[in-house]
Amino acid sequence: MSGSDEVQPPAGNGREPLVSLAGVSKVYEAPRSLPVAALREIDLEVAAGEFVVVTGRSAAGKTTLLNVIAGLSRPTAGAVRIGGTDLWRLPDRRRSRLRNATVGFVFQFPSLLPSLTVLQNVLLPLSLGPAESSAGNEHALALLDMVGLGGVERSHPRRLSAGQQQRVVIARALVNRPRLLLADEPTSNLDEQTEAEIMGLLERIHGETGTTVVLVTHAADLVGRGTRHLVMTDGAVRPAATLGRGCEDTPRGIS
Amino acid sequence: MRLGRLTVLALRTAAGDPVRSWLIAVCAFAIAAFAVSTAILVRGGQESLHLAAARLGADVVVVPRGAATEVDGALLMGTVSRRWMPAADVARVAAVRGVAVASPQIYLESLSHASCCAVSDMFVVAFDPRTDFTVEPWLRRQLGGTLGVQQAVGGSQVTTPVNYNIMLYGYTMWLRGKLEPTGTNLDRSLFITLPTAYAMARASRTTAVKPLVIPKDRVSSVMVKVTPGADPARVAGAISRAVPGVSAVVRPQMFAVERTQIAGLLHVMLVVLAMLLALALVVLVLLLSMAAHERRRELGVLRALGASRGVVVVALLAEALVVACAGGLAGAAVAAFGVSLFHTLIATRLGIPFVYPGGGALTAEIVAGLGLSFLAVGVAAAVPALRVSGEEPALAMRE
Repeated sequence: MSGSDEVQPPAGNGREPLVSLAGVSKVYEAPRSLPVAALREIDLEVAAGEFVVVTGRSAAGKTTLLNVIAGLSRPTAGAVRIGGTDLWRLPDRRRSRLRNATVGFVFQFPSLLPSLTVLQNVLLPLSLGPAESSAGNEHALALLDMVGLGGVERSHPRRLSAGQQQRVVIARALVNRPRLLLADEPTSNLDEQTEAEIMGLLERIHGETGTTVVLVTHAADLVGRGTRHLVMTDGAVRPAATLGRGCEDTPRGIS
Repeated sequence: MRLGRLTVLALRTAAGDPVRSWLIAVCAFAIAAFAVSTAILVRGGQESLHLAAARLGADVVVVPRGAATEVDGALLMGTVSRRWMPAADVARVAAVRGVAVASPQIYLESLSHASCCAVSDMFVVAFDPRTDFTVEPWLRRQLGGTLGVQQAVGGSQVTTPVNYNIMLYGYTMWLRGKLEPTGTNLDRSLFITLPTAYAMARASRTTAVKPLVIPKDRVSSVMVKVTPGADPARVAGAISRAVPGVSAVVRPQMFAVERTQIAGLLHVMLVVLAMLLALALVVLVLLLSMAAHERRRELGVLRALGASRGVVVVALLAEALVVACAGGLAGAAVAAFGVSLFHTLIATRLGIPFVYPGGGALTAEIVAGLGLSFLAVGVAAAVPALRVSGEEPALAMRE
């Protein structure tokens, strides 16, 4: 990293993985309770352009894994690198800038700001960035079109269905053109048809833009989606299958 | 995140929780209103005393011994002094080393609700036109000469229009002008020369319901201007020693009772303000802590989208301060308008002289009051903002 305040999105060089976790553990400690190990010495590399699906039962550590990758949770041990940059060697401000520039997040829970319109919600990551592009509005509208919500940009989130809100969240996650999209149970609260639409949308985004996707889910029917399938059990990750679709790199680095 | 965008987000968030926003605004309103009204009242009282002392223009005021408070009260609040000193003392005072000019004054008042007086209980200051240095300079500057017999000038609040006649004790005088306001009883007083006062007393024997009696060879006070370079305190001491039966008061010690009253008022209002601030701070910290706690997930989402800890702190401060700005401005405006509307009533009730502060002083007081309300809300918002922003975003989002 340069010494300047500006954090550039890491550029893939074909050799370095976009995401790299080395010996990452996360233990939650709370007063008057036993420590809980959410992640256990995970070594994981995700290459640019992969679509990794991580499945596992509830409390297996899937959400913690995404939070650690995004720099939202500090690992108890180990190193997390995005494009070769060790997240926890950066001060908060630069880590936040790197997250803003590189990572899009689709949450499990309703995460739109109710006081903002759909368009303002989509533009939020741009607003939080160092400089707002004049083309931001057009890009946001194009993303809303892409997720099938053209024309609702002036509505407030409460007027949308759960499925529509999740589409807005996906548009918001993409507005900064992130290289990495992290999706935490993006279909957990949706009916089957909407779930299929959302998964189709994520796959289309991956296919059309080459965005690297890491999706965690407990839904067994999503097994077989994406280019690589990992299984989480009690905070540990193991490979389940190598599908080899849409990604030229060989999956690697899973211990 | 730019300040403009932060403010827009803050406004939208504030609008999203109107009850909380109202409560914050009410706290800011109360702090600003009380602080601004306190500042205006105290500044107005001090300014009034300053103007009154300047109006008298004397370095030393000589009064009958023990009558200093009475004379101050007469000049400031219109409670007429019944104490007199021999007119011969004027010459004795003038002979003291360091005295440049010694000018006598007589304090009178019109009758209460008498048909021979156009105004009831009007305070009248009669001065010697040969030696006066308090009204005469103004007369020469504004009217091009002194007052003749049957002529008067009034304070700013005398209701009779300039160039109209005013009747006291059945004696008609021509009101030639009005002086600038001081916020004291001088604004409701009539200024005439000693010859006019004596003429009025003579006429009153036949024209008034009750004649005006001015004790022979007596005056109410002597205004003293010291020679250039002389120390007024030393001159006052010399006068007290040289002239028996009088007290000599230097200008900074004039209106001592009123100064004490204003200091007392300031003390009481500062104590009340401190209590109000403490109460408002407790309410604000509770309100803003609850709000920040309720929004932990939303703030965690903001962090996930790229907001730094600093941005979250600034966002929470901005939300509170945007609301405080509205409440504080309203409070300051209501206080400034309310005091301007009711200042006579308030000053009378509090027993202090008062003149409404001018533009610069008023602006400073409003800015100070607003600053205090912003500071209170800012401190109260900073407590939960620092706590919530320091939390791990992943933990905040789990709530």
